[in-house]
Amino acid sequence: MIDTIELNDQIKRTNAYACLECGKCTSVCPVSRYGRDYSPRMLLNRTIRKDFDAIFQDYDLWSCLTCKKCDDVCLAGIQYIELTQLLRSKALEEGFKGKCSHAGALQSLSRIMTSEYLHQNRLDWVTDDLGIATEGEILYFVGCAPYFDVFFSDLEVTTLEAAQSSIRILNRLGIEPVLLADERCCGHDLLWNGDAENFTRLGKHNLEEISKTGAKTILFSCAECLSTFKSLYPQWGLTVKPELKHMSQFLAEKVATGELELQSSDTSITYQDPCRLGRHLGIYDEPRQVLATGSPRDNGAPLREMQQAGKRSLCCGVSAWMNCDRTSKAIQTERLRQAKSTGADVLAVACPKCQIHLTCTMKDQLLKDKYGLTIRDISALTLERMQ
Amino acid sequence: MDSEGHIADLLVQSKATISFESAGTPQAKPIAVVEPSPCTRACPAGVNVKAYVSLIAAGRFQEALEVVRQRNPLPGICGRVCTHPCEVACNLGDIDSPVAICWLKRFVADYELTHPQAKPEPISQTRKEKVAVIGSGPAGLTAANDLVRLGFGVTVFEALSTPGGMLVAGIPAYRLPRNIVAAEIDAIRHLGVEIQTDSPISGDKAIDRLFEEGYRAVFLAIGAHKGRKLGVPGEEDYRGIIDCITFLNEANLGKAKKPGNKVIVIGGGSSAVDSARTALRLGSEAVHIVYRRSRKEMPAHEAEIVEAEREGVQLHYLAAPVRVLGKADRVTAMECQKMKLGKPDESGRRRPVPIEGSEFEVEADTIITAISQGPDLSFLTDDQGVELTRWQTFAADEGTMATSRPGVFAGGDAVTGPSTVIDAIAAGHVAARSIVRFLDGEALVQAEVSGGLVESEIEVDRKERKPAPRATMPMLEVADRISTFEEVDLGFEAAQAVAEAQRCQRCGPCSECYVCVPECDKITTILSTPQGDGEAILRLPGNFELPDQAGASVVVKSGRRKGVNLAVFPVIPQVKEELCRSCGDCVAACEYEAVSLIPKNGDVSVARVDPDICRGCGTCVAVCSTGAMLPGYYTGDWLTQRLASLDLEKRNIVVFACHWNGSHLDDKTLQDMHGKDIHLEIIHTMCSGRINPGFVFEALESGAEGVLITGCSSHDCHYDFGAKRAQQMFQNLERLVHMVGFKPGCVCYKQIPAADSARFMAAVDSFVEGLGKTKPNQRAAELEAVS
Ligand SMILES: Cc1cc2nc3c(=O)[nH]c(=O)nc-3n(C[C@H](O)[C@H](O)[C@H](O)COP(=O)(O)OP(=O)(O)OC[C@H]3O[C@@H](n4cnc5c(N)ncnc54)[C@H](O)[C@@H]3O)c2cc1C
Ligand code: SF4
Ligand code: SF4
Ligand code: SF4
Ligand code: SF4
Repeated sequence: MIDTIELNDQIKRTNAYACLECGKCTSVCPVSRYGRDYSPRMLLNRTIRKDFDAIFQDYDLWSCLTCKKCDDVCLAGIQYIELTQLLRSKALEEGFKGKCSHAGALQSLSRIMTSEYLHQNRLDWVTDDLGIATEGEILYFVGCAPYFDVFFSDLEVTTLEAAQSSIRILNRLGIEPVLLADERCCGHDLLWNGDAENFTRLGKHNLEEISKTGAKTILFSCAECLSTFKSLYPQWGLTVKPELKHMSQFLAEKVATGELELQSSDTSITYQDPCRLGRHLGIYDEPRQVLATGSPRDNGAPLREMQQAGKRSLCCGVSAWMNCDRTSKAIQTERLRQAKSTGADVLAVACPKCQIHLTCTMKDQLLKDKYGLTIRDISALTLERMQ
Repeated sequence: MDSEGHIADLLVQSKATISFESAGTPQAKPIAVVEPSPCTRACPAGVNVKAYVSLIAAGRFQEALEVVRQRNPLPGICGRVCTHPCEVACNLGDIDSPVAICWLKRFVADYELTHPQAKPEPISQTRKEKVAVIGSGPAGLTAANDLVRLGFGVTVFEALSTPGGMLVAGIPAYRLPRNIVAAEIDAIRHLGVEIQTDSPISGDKAIDRLFEEGYRAVFLAIGAHKGRKLGVPGEEDYRGIIDCITFLNEANLGKAKKPGNKVIVIGGGSSAVDSARTALRLGSEAVHIVYRRSRKEMPAHEAEIVEAEREGVQLHYLAAPVRVLGKADRVTAMECQKMKLGKPDESGRRRPVPIEGSEFEVEADTIITAISQGPDLSFLTDDQGVELTRWQTFAADEGTMATSRPGVFAGGDAVTGPSTVIDAIAAGHVAARSIVRFLDGEALVQAEVSGGLVESEIEVDRKERKPAPRATMPMLEVADRISTFEEVDLGFEAAQAVAEAQRCQRCGPCSECYVCVPECDKITTILSTPQGDGEAILRLPGNFELPDQAGASVVVKSGRRKGVNLAVFPVIPQVKEELCRSCGDCVAACEYEAVSLIPKNGDVSVARVDPDICRGCGTCVAVCSTGAMLPGYYTGDWLTQRLASLDLEKRNIVVFACHWNGSHLDDKTLQDMHGKDIHLEIIHTMCSGRINPGFVFEALESGAEGVLITGCSSHDCHYDFGAKRAQQMFQNLERLVHMVGFKPGCVCYKQIPAADSARFMAAVDSFVEGLGKTKPNQRAAELEAVS
């Protein structure tokens, strides 16, 4: 049985009981907007009524993209996505789960990575021309890109390009970043699947490994990994000591100090704010600075912003490899439409998930090349413009 | 005894393992066949040999018989007297000895006699045209049978008082009991063929009159009943010289008395050997066969010659008659001359040449001539417009059976001269097809040449083959047979038939038995445990009301498994519309084009599976990333449940086996074969194309030390593309497994031939052995530590 007293306390912390029923959340929610009858307000309402059976049995408990749009507009300061996380963990305990895409293979991989006895071969992609270290002050956290590129080879996505480019840039700046041979999945997706136990195991392992390297700064190309380290680990009692930066932040700093000089380019670019980077961590400007520096803006052509950008930016449509469905596609199609209508040639991304999800829809058999765009990571685009 | 109980008994007796649950036991590829097996290609009538042999091997006797009947309306007859070119073609002939195909056919035909089936409904005439068939031998019967099935009215005119042609007039009852012939002809009659006996076609304008009577086409299948003369001095001068057909016909009708004490039969074909054996049975003391070439060239079947010898017939090879000697009006002896073999003639056999001065005499009071026969053309006048060859047979186009007169067709012995039952059947099929086209006003088309020995690309793997002796035919003792016309060959027991059929290597891809097809409309049990209640994958029609969840229990209402409790897993996937992204991956995956995207309102489309086209391989399920394509079987939960049975005390091996090539041994037997420290979890899927990385990871996560995937090769794949998909999937899987650090070789994909239990077992064995050589499974150790 659900311990409602305990649950109640936890719910209180999300401020859910303060709900005004204004419906602002539902009005901004992309799942409600582009999809079915999903409504954050309704879930709040059910929570207040303690109708947990209905909540747990609802497919839509797992539909929230945790894009945080609702939280940003809520007048009562409700932390809706916290509530979602809480309810999902409870639901999982009760034996309910989300609809895992790809037959759960990606969740399986993450869970397999909790093993103490793991001997990954995850650095096979590091070629001799990439300078990396096992100890040092700067650590580059690769994330699951090596797995993604194999798993999604049908889509021909190259999320590893972000890592390769980042390392090259760092090398040019005289930095040989530390790469962990036994890096594990950060656990982000498992946590949003409701699996806090395996999430914590992964977190602990990563932090232990990192502590052995002497790293003072950790760089990330993946917005999800960054937000996991920054927000989720501490939230779950895991202390992260090094400074944490997204590659775009790091690049922006270097551009500002003049250490990094970028050539101008004619490519017109639009930018997809990852929810984790933007609304979760408030990082909106740095990626734009990097993308605009030295080019298009300097040539008089600013970064071509999409209809919904920055705080209003639209999610890439799927979260935590769960509940990918018709609504996801509708969101992605809309996002690609917005990107295409900026007239830009390149859609810059700052998260491998955005890259995968948007590529998937772009290559959709029905849409054909309707939204044909080049989707590339910020680091990769930056490397190309280095002197 | 119903067939199922029967097989269960067999299982105990013979230790043979039989899968009678797979709907398509005889493997692969009903859609596009690469090359049929050599046996099938060798059959002149186009009987699907591999299919029925495979079905017999699976204990599905009645279905096997139906397969034979698709192309041969006389299975019991052919099962006894056919010259079985299929066995000559059988690949096993090069290795030990061919599968006893002919006797297997006899077995299923006899099986039906002891396990009678409901008679099929007579076929109502849907076409107004009527066809006259002259002669009720195998050629005429086959054509009549084909035409009646197509809805035409058919009348067969037969000169003799019993229908069957040489089957009753020529072939003796000790080889072909008359009740067998009668039953098979009755079945043809029952369908709607009218046979008028004692009705020779004769007199002026015989063919014109048929057309005048309203027949729109005529098939001349009058056989070759007129004996040719020896053409030696004395032939016309004495009593005691008789033509074999006349002799046999009388004997067969029970009218013949002992022909004499000392009998010489001239000739080397079936008719000669049968005449000799018949004479013995009628009481003749000494019976000789005189044949002008060597034994090797004798057209009679070797087995018949051997039996004749055992019964006491004396054979003289390389000898030819030169003169008939006699006293008063009665034959006393035959003067013969020795021959030697010269250059091959047009038939390819070496021509006998007389040796000067080698004459010798054989004493005889009776001479039976069996040198060759031609059709009795006495009814045919020149004005009928039917041309003849120089051998006085009908001139008919080999590929269409058309004669020079439109609407008149001819086939069988009447065209070829004395030949075989199966050739006559083949001719009957060709003629029937031409007649239909003629009546439809279409141009005739040449039949594809079937039969004969064709160079086959399919090879039997000699190393893999365990030698198994060919079954021998139980026979009456010589002493018990020479005074009667009792059937000599006694036929197989069921166990013997199954064992013999299991020798078949099932060369090549799917046998196209199509037993799966009619069942698709009903409930087809595809996978199940052999003993009654169990688990089954069912192929259900689209409008079938599905039980709520996969694995729901149903009781089978009809058919072989009536009354049995089964857990139901429908194979045709259903689309959960809310989940479908209309990405079209499934559309691209299904090469049957069973999946299409149906526009919903606005831009939205959803995938839809056409249940009539879908074959249930599950490939689309494997490619669907969202899980919208819902399998009726092996859902995620079900898999989790199966994997929960892994035993962490043991080494766990999970095998995902395509059920077309997975072992037909039951799980327990398999388990026992691998000793106590191994837990083998065999999970059958419809096709290896159904497996996706998620399955494999889940198995590894659940504590499997190794995961083996078995499937057929692309060439063999029952679903054409499933194997291809599995191959692609595995390429990625292997890289991921390596990356995440499982020990090398712990995930393996093997392609093995369909329905080959031995190879399946070997694959499992070598996989397990290979695993044993590396360090123990870490994940399992860890799981143990945690629990
Ligand atoms: C003794 C003997 C043994 C044989 N053994 C074998 C064997 O073991 N295996 C094998 O494969 N083959 C065997 N054969 C050959 C085989 O029987 C024939 O090749 C086959 O029966 C030919 O079939 P058919 O339909 O062309 O003619 P048939 O079977 O000869 O039938 C022709 C029918 O037409 C009828 N008919 C003829 N003229 C007229 C007319 N004017 N009007 C109406 N009806 C007419 C005849 O009475 C006869 O019933 C044997 C033949 C003989 C004689
Ligand atoms: S987090 Fe985003 S997807 Fe989830 S309810 Fe809020 S707005 Fe909707
Ligand atoms: S693969 Fe799945 S999501 Fe894609 S169209 Fe087919 S059913 Fe829909
Ligand atoms: S891929 Fe297989 S299961 Fe899917 S629709 Fe086609 S035949 Fe049916
Ligand atoms: S390959 Fe397939 S389809 Fe094929 S029969 Fe076998 S595994 Fe199945």
